[in-house]
Amino acid sequence: MSRKLLTLLMVLAVLSTLMVASVGAQDEAGGGGTLVGAFDVGPGGAPQVIPYFDTAGRDWLSKIWSPLISWDETMSGLVPEIAVEWTSNDDATVWTFELREGVLWHDGEALTADDVVFSLNLALDPEAVTSFPTLSQLQREAVLSVTALDELTVEIELDAPRPRLPFFMIFLWILPEHELADINPAEYQNLDWFFTNPIGTGPFMHDEFEDDQFWALVPNPDYFRGAPKLDRLVNRYFADETAAVLALEAGEIDFTYASGDVALGLADEFDLYDGPSGVTNYFIFNLRNPALADVRVRQAMLYAIDREAISETILEGTAEVVPCISPFPAMWPEEYNDYAYDPDMARELLAEAGWDSSQTVEVMTYYDSQFHLDAMAAQQAFLADVGVNIVPVSQDVPTYNSYFYTGEGWDISYRGIGVNVGNFPFTFYVSGGWDTVDGLPLAGEEFPELVELLEAAQAEADPDAYLGLLQDICAFQNEIALEGYMWTAVRFGVGSPDLRDFHWFPAAGGGPYLSNAHLWYVEE
Amino acid sequence: MVKYLIRRLLYSIPVVIAITIIIFALIEIAPGDVADYFVSGEVEMSPEAMQAIRDRYGLDQPAPVRYFNWVGAVIQGDLGYRYTDGRPVAEAIQRRLRATITLISAALVIGVVVGVPLGVFIGLRQYSAWDISLTGFSFLGISMPAFVTGILALYLFSIQLGWFPSGGMRPIGRGEVGLWTSVHHLILPSLVLSLNYVATYMRYMRFSMLEVVHSDYVRTARGKGLADGRVTWRHTVPNAILPVITIIGVSIPNLVVGAVFTETIFSWPGMGTLYLEAVRGRDVPLLMGMNLVIAVAVLGANLLTDIVYAVVDPRIRYD
Repeated sequence: MSRKLLTLLMVLAVLSTLMVASVGAQDEAGGGGTLVGAFDVGPGGAPQVIPYFDTAGRDWLSKIWSPLISWDETMSGLVPEIAVEWTSNDDATVWTFELREGVLWHDGEALTADDVVFSLNLALDPEAVTSFPTLSQLQREAVLSVTALDELTVEIELDAPRPRLPFFMIFLWILPEHELADINPAEYQNLDWFFTNPIGTGPFMHDEFEDDQFWALVPNPDYFRGAPKLDRLVNRYFADETAAVLALEAGEIDFTYASGDVALGLADEFDLYDGPSGVTNYFIFNLRNPALADVRVRQAMLYAIDREAISETILEGTAEVVPCISPFPAMWPEEYNDYAYDPDMARELLAEAGWDSSQTVEVMTYYDSQFHLDAMAAQQAFLADVGVNIVPVSQDVPTYNSYFYTGEGWDISYRGIGVNVGNFPFTFYVSGGWDTVDGLPLAGEEFPELVELLEAAQAEADPDAYLGLLQDICAFQNEIALEGYMWTAVRFGVGSPDLRDFHWFPAAGGGPYLSNAHLWYVEE
Repeated sequence: MVKYLIRRLLYSIPVVIAITIIIFALIEIAPGDVADYFVSGEVEMSPEAMQAIRDRYGLDQPAPVRYFNWVGAVIQGDLGYRYTDGRPVAEAIQRRLRATITLISAALVIGVVVGVPLGVFIGLRQYSAWDISLTGFSFLGISMPAFVTGILALYLFSIQLGWFPSGGMRPIGRGEVGLWTSVHHLILPSLVLSLNYVATYMRYMRFSMLEVVHSDYVRTARGKGLADGRVTWRHTVPNAILPVITIIGVSIPNLVVGAVFTETIFSWPGMGTLYLEAVRGRDVPLLMGMNLVIAVAVLGANLLTDIVYAVVDPRIRYD
């Protein structure tokens, strides 16, 4: 072969290799684009909230600020965020958190333990009246001290054993002490800073905020998990879900939450992101009503309602029937009564209990979505078939809560409650938990055996033993039909097919959970 | 006229005070408060936290104390801060008012510019094909709920045809928003909202024209040999429009009240949705501030209507 030909072949080979390599590199790189989403539409959203006033909306907040610890992608466990390691002493009264090295604030300052100490003290400050202790069930008085042991170590001393303190730290947003140290805690909620010049450690930084319209962010190149691929991330605000879905269909946004029936109808054109809501929908019976205090009546109601049929048809297979307050099978006992649809059994139990079928019982709810209204209509029909006449009464949240938490003015309430392994609604079941008219638990009766289990679970440090106690609690609730457990629903997000590496989970209150937003991008 | 204006302004003061008292009393009677609003139905909160919220906003104080505290602050020009998000009430109202005035003004102008001439047109052609078809349209416009027309319009013109954005407001000058972008976002919601105004003004103008067109002075004008156009525009319309001015005047308070359904469908951040947020959140400072603004606006609009009436009809004199 001539030298010239050989040289030509070698050049061609090199060029081909370079070409393939560059194409491959482009495919692997992938990135860019502006992602516009309606991140605060749906039950997990709350537009324009700020850290520590976030009973919801935490998904968006986690794009700017980082919590100490976070849920993982599916809320199955905890993952490090600002804290990378956490340990406690033997009785879980002193917790030590090791912080991540090299975390920078959006203004380039280094995050230190002083920021964590500042943030927790602010969150607990009664003048600031934040929601943090509320969400975490961690009372202000429970925290005796918060100390920075060194630049990257924080110690928290508690008044009593708290084996699951890390679950509470999910709600601890880390704020910059160097920016906020001089604020008056009483004016915390009124700070304009959050919307004009917020500084966080999240994957995105503030760019532009338009009241009632949108909040636009740009990538944080120093994000501790890696620089985001997106050029811009925008959260658009909508008054309701319908407007957001229409905007999605018009191509103006790339993502929104959508109710089950709506989301399933969009499955052909868009990508669906779904997951368990972590919320159990159920009837809570006011046992102050003697008829409802009879276990036979409560069991009859469960037998009377074909929950499987409602889940499959009205809820289009997007719900799973549950045996107790917990929506997660890991927290259920091995054996339990599934109260399979049996109207004859229901009539028999009601007859034994002497149920007066001429009476009408109001079922109070705050749900106003078609999803729940349809489900309640079905419940009403099933119960009427066995002689239980219910009248659903839908109210707005403040009206509902003003009655519900006093224990009077209602007989049955159809509601939901978010439950996970670290957040069990203990206060619902114990006396003194709420300022009810008679000092009894919300449902109007205290069960010593249940209280014993609850107290044991709260104090249990061993995870397996703790889970065993939660299963025992579930078994107790199921056996006596303490409440009318219906289902846990799947919730949906709907996104443009151009989204890449996008992750969304229907976390209660928006999480926060590990969304890996730094990996998202939009295919052009 | 000046004495009349001063008298009306003085009468307005006790009316506004009475309105604020009534509104405050209604808020007090309504079940639930802002602490109840913060308790999400699906997230557990503690009773201590709810009490802390109530203490923070002074909800444990007697109602008269809270009312007079609010009055004292208002006299000093301070409408306070929203309970639900801590932002200044005045700032929220100002922002939403701008948006609402923009939207409602556009709808009103369309309503007057289209509805009144159409009413004149069909008033002169009673029982014609135009009269029948436009009267049918007006029934549709008046009876069709705004959320139905809004969703239909969005589906057709935004999703199917792609002619208009699906919602949102783009104020001129914010960022790189130019005049066309701003107007483009305004067109569809204002057209939807104007349907009711066009239909209403058209019907009232038609009725009024039918009354006036058969009156003696119009017959005299024709008898004198005046051209039809002159009879219509110099004699008929100026008299027929008087009742319509009253109807238009009644619509002016909408400039501040907003249109909650249209705002919701088109994500237009106006006073209607703000009021809904305030009620849902039991946001007392915001509710009181908004009602104060609305009361002043309604009284002002009524006064303006009376003045315009006097200008248009030289027979009317106030003393």
